[in-house]
Amino acid sequence: MRLRTDDDIYRARLVYLGPPGYTLPVHLPYAQYGVFMLLVPLFMFIHYLFTFDVELFPAWEIALAVVTTSFIFRYVDPDRPARMVVRTALTDWRRTREPASEQRDPRLVATRIRVREELV
Amino acid sequence: MTPPSTPGPPRPVGMPADTRSNGARPSDYPVSDPDEDEDDLIPSPDHGAVAVFQAPQAPRRPAGGPSPHGRGEGEHADIDSPFLDLFSSSAGRPAPPRSAARAPAARVAEPLRRPVEATPAEPVRRPVEPPPSEPVRRPVEPPSAEPVRRPVEPSPTEPVRRPVEAAPAEPFTNGVGGHGIGTESIGSPDRGGESPAVPEKEAGPPIATRSPARADRTPRHAAFEPELEPVNLPAVREPGADPLVRRPPAEPATRRRPEERRPREEPAPRPRKEVSRRQEVAPRSKPVRPPKIKFADRDPAVNLAITEIAGHLTFTPNTVTAWYWLPEVRWAFRPDAEREALLSAISEQYAGLAGFRLHLRRTTRPFPADEWARTLDMNTPQPLSGVPGATSWSDHLVNAQRHLLSVNHAEGQTYLGVTFARRSLGDSFVERLLRAFGRGVAEGERRKLGRTVEQFDEVLGAFGMRGRQVTTHELEWLLYRSVALCMAPPTTLSPVTGGQWERGDLLALTEQIERYRTPYGSTVKLVNRMTAEERHVAVLAVGRMEPLEIPERHEPWLHFHERLPWPMELSSRVDVLGSGDSFRNLEHRLRMIRSQQLDYAEHGIDAPPELERLAKRALVIGDEMTTGLPVESARAHGWHRIAVGGRTREECLERARRIIQLYSRELRISLQHPKNQDWLAREFIPGEPVANTGYIRRMPVKLLAAALPQAASTVGDRRGDLIGRTAGTCRRPVFLDLHFPMEVRERSGLAVFVAEPGGGKSTLLGALGYLAARRGVQVTLLDPSGPLARLCSMPELRPYSRVLNLTGSEHGTLAPYSLIPTPLRSEFASGATGDREYEIAVSNARAERRMLVQDICSMLVPPQVAREASTATLLRHAVRQVPAEETSTLDDVVACLAGLDDDNGKELANLLLDTAEMPLALLFFGRPPEGLLGADAALTVITMAGLRLPDLKIEREYWSAEEALALPMLHTAHRLAVRRCYGGSMSSRKMVGLDEAHFMEGWRSGRSFLVRLARDSRKWNLSALVASQNPRDILGLDVQNLVSTVFVGRIAEDVEIASEALRLLRVPVNDGYEATLASLSNVDTASASRLGFREFVMRDVDGRVQKVRVDVSYVEGLLDHLDTTPTGAAAPQSNLPSATPDAEV
Repeated sequence: MRLRTDDDIYRARLVYLGPPGYTLPVHLPYAQYGVFMLLVPLFMFIHYLFTFDVELFPAWEIALAVVTTSFIFRYVDPDRPARMVVRTALTDWRRTREPASEQRDPRLVATRIRVREELV
Repeated sequence: MTPPSTPGPPRPVGMPADTRSNGARPSDYPVSDPDEDEDDLIPSPDHGAVAVFQAPQAPRRPAGGPSPHGRGEGEHADIDSPFLDLFSSSAGRPAPPRSAARAPAARVAEPLRRPVEATPAEPVRRPVEPPPSEPVRRPVEPPSAEPVRRPVEPSPTEPVRRPVEAAPAEPFTNGVGGHGIGTESIGSPDRGGESPAVPEKEAGPPIATRSPARADRTPRHAAFEPELEPVNLPAVREPGADPLVRRPPAEPATRRRPEERRPREEPAPRPRKEVSRRQEVAPRSKPVRPPKIKFADRDPAVNLAITEIAGHLTFTPNTVTAWYWLPEVRWAFRPDAEREALLSAISEQYAGLAGFRLHLRRTTRPFPADEWARTLDMNTPQPLSGVPGATSWSDHLVNAQRHLLSVNHAEGQTYLGVTFARRSLGDSFVERLLRAFGRGVAEGERRKLGRTVEQFDEVLGAFGMRGRQVTTHELEWLLYRSVALCMAPPTTLSPVTGGQWERGDLLALTEQIERYRTPYGSTVKLVNRMTAEERHVAVLAVGRMEPLEIPERHEPWLHFHERLPWPMELSSRVDVLGSGDSFRNLEHRLRMIRSQQLDYAEHGIDAPPELERLAKRALVIGDEMTTGLPVESARAHGWHRIAVGGRTREECLERARRIIQLYSRELRISLQHPKNQDWLAREFIPGEPVANTGYIRRMPVKLLAAALPQAASTVGDRRGDLIGRTAGTCRRPVFLDLHFPMEVRERSGLAVFVAEPGGGKSTLLGALGYLAARRGVQVTLLDPSGPLARLCSMPELRPYSRVLNLTGSEHGTLAPYSLIPTPLRSEFASGATGDREYEIAVSNARAERRMLVQDICSMLVPPQVAREASTATLLRHAVRQVPAEETSTLDDVVACLAGLDDDNGKELANLLLDTAEMPLALLFFGRPPEGLLGADAALTVITMAGLRLPDLKIEREYWSAEEALALPMLHTAHRLAVRRCYGGSMSSRKMVGLDEAHFMEGWRSGRSFLVRLARDSRKWNLSALVASQNPRDILGLDVQNLVSTVFVGRIAEDVEIASEALRLLRVPVNDGYEATLASLSNVDTASASRLGFREFVMRDVDGRVQKVRVDVSYVEGLLDHLDTTPTGAAAPQSNLPSATPDAEV
């Protein structure tokens, strides 16, 4: 039996080519546009917090969002989901290589589990 | 109860045998001890251990032994633990009955395991201490000996070092022993005479010497020492097993003490401060008051998500999971059709679980060598008694177990958890509430779930997985193994030996497992603080997979890892999607691909060809899903992880590298090694959440079914001698009891060996003969070429064996008439039917004699004469004249021929007499000497040294006279070898090994001989091993259905013979397995040394076929004696598998 996964179907690279009639020079996945669009208002809001002023054309924010998006997508992919990246970053952010020191994780303890021989 | 005597100091692997060890096993092997377990063995109840078969000792125990519960007032006097006082009050409590019942086993194991581990560590540090054998005797030392000696031991010269090192080593175990149940096991008073001399025997200030010990220790370890109880040590460790041993792993106790089994009472070890404070106070405070054990452990501990195990269900606050045990399935050498049927049955079962989340978990259990040894010993009522200077039976068994442990065979255990119910908030709240009252999940909920879960029993129990509900015990085991991932398992879990873990014990053991992580680390470090075992675990995730052709080209992809010689753990979390879900899921994806294609078209750009291809595939799959069966459409989306362990980080990473390489090369699966290993390792624990969503694999359930982690390749029975291991897809030990087919399976005992010359037939035959003879089986080996005669010179066999060299024998040794025994009336049932059967048997014997004599005569005369029709007639006539009784001789036939008034007859008589001029031919004439083959010798080897065997491919006309004579000699010698077996009682075990059986082909009598052998084997409990170069003669003899065991060695030259051999194995022909036969025992052309092993394909009596690597190197000197190769003595044989360095505990 020839058996194969469906993964390639899910792996297909779906990119935004641009609005009809106009092809963008760079093709980026839809997800990146999505993240970008979320980041711009975020940066605008942050900017607003500092200046109490909303700019008409948020140039800085757009630039920052572009950089941030590309930065995020350098580290996040389906096999390295964002949650895991964030978690790793939170726990391990100090070091990038294997250090000599190690820290203790909580022991996982099964003592409190109640055992019952029969279900009913 | 087991006697206090210790079963000799087992030595670590690799240490030379000392003569004091387990000694001979005389006939009074103890059966008398009333307290003994039902079998007379003193095995350690743990798996990693070696069951030592103890030389008999006078049952001294009952005389003065304390009652199981009774503990004298001064009993603690013999225990030298700084923490002793901690437990003084609890010692006053009567031990709970359960623990008392388990005490014997605890004691048994202790002496056995201790020396193995303690020896390497101790002598170094304690030069004053008695020799390594000391720890063996320790547990039964007189109460007064220890406490006095110990504290004083730190001599003035090393006041600081001693306590620091010695204290953690031994006293703690004793202290713990004193606490719970173990005191009686330690303080048996009856060994006073044997206790080692106590060096200094003054009472020292115990506290003073002990205190520094604690002070010097690191706080964390000191804190836990009351619990210090190296339970998990494997019995035989590889040297250097713990490179970072922080505490010498001495004195393993066997089991958890009861306080650990009662988690609610004492859930965690005491903090260090508490300990030390009590230490100083306790001795002064005379009135014993129960210590308030507050286990306010400062190191963090997290409870698992699972809150309750009920039957085969596990409860977490949110979900309920039903667990099933998947038995191993045979994979190797099965026809592809069968395999496909299996896979599709399993995938249907998976599809039937659509909508649920599965947790497929595979763990391992080290091979229970001690259990096996016990079984073997029980099956060996009369082993050959020991010879001074040679290994005794018990040592032989110990060697075998050591060998088993050193090559590390792990048995897989596969569990499948189906998460089938979400719990409502109310349910889990009720559980919390009831827990407060000690009751757990509400009965109503359990009842409801019990009904729901029945559907899974039905789905999983069918052909395919054949799953059964797990027991709570197995679940506990799984939980422990998952928390202590890749670590040595707790040593006492054994189904038979009485070393049972009680409910909750294993869960309590998880307390000891500490976990360490390094930022961005690629491994997790697990430390068992009781045994100081340190393990680094790397968890790999299954990444991209290329298409696999599972039954045809590839092996099951989660079984594949078993090729590597160390155990690994698997965990798959899978969501099974039914047809609706998976179709929606995929259709969405399909639409996106379509729209992307449209986008490209709209923009006038060429779409990448990949997109086109994917769109087509998605269409096909979508079609399959909508129109096909549920099996086709069900999808399994999930995460598959493999955990690899190692003693050091480097070793672990190296192993991870090797498995990644193996998978990518052979299966084209890329295993990834992600970060956040601690979370991934946690995912192996049932009930814990999935670590992260990365590396999700979406596959049809067929592909998931083809993972088949439960595949295995076992062969052989589990009650016979160890003859090697399987060499195919995984490594399992192979045991073979040649009498198993007759005694248990009620099949014939004919075993067939087929191989090319040099394939190892004779060696295997000899090895099996040796092993059988050791077990007291009456063995007769016919070895025409003669090297097996050297077996008789082995020291342990020498007094019991004899060699019969036919070429130097007296006249009449091979007299054909007497070779066929007359049946005895006593062999048949009484009554009329018995009479009838007896008569038939007698006349059959007569007919057979006539046939044999005719054949022998025509073999003796030149072939040209034999071919004439008149010769046959004359011979038949003459044979008819001579009474076909045992007492007749060939001379009678010659005389009868000579007496005929026929020239041809006279000529024939003369021809026969001509042959009689040759000295060898005289063996056929005359009467056999009396007592030629007594039934007394355990091993008889019949050889024909110097005889030149003819080449059967050459016509008989061209054979030399000597070669021509070899043929009848072989025929009669075969008969002679078997004749001996008909001498003794019918039920006693007999074995006969016949080499060069292909000479029997082409003669009526030869055929009838083999048929009769196969038929009689069961009746006479006779195991017949027939070695041949050509399977055709066995197949042609139509005894194939009477053949129980088949070994096929290397057959590379002749394809026809190879396919015949496959037919003998009942393996599909022309399926590519011929190449397997050709590749057996393949020599590495680059190496100049000789091949140290031989491989066979073996079919056992149950029809399981497997590639087997024969390895009897554990028997000292056997290979040297069996070596048939000329330069044998010079080249040392190393039969250990090459991968030994990889093997691990």
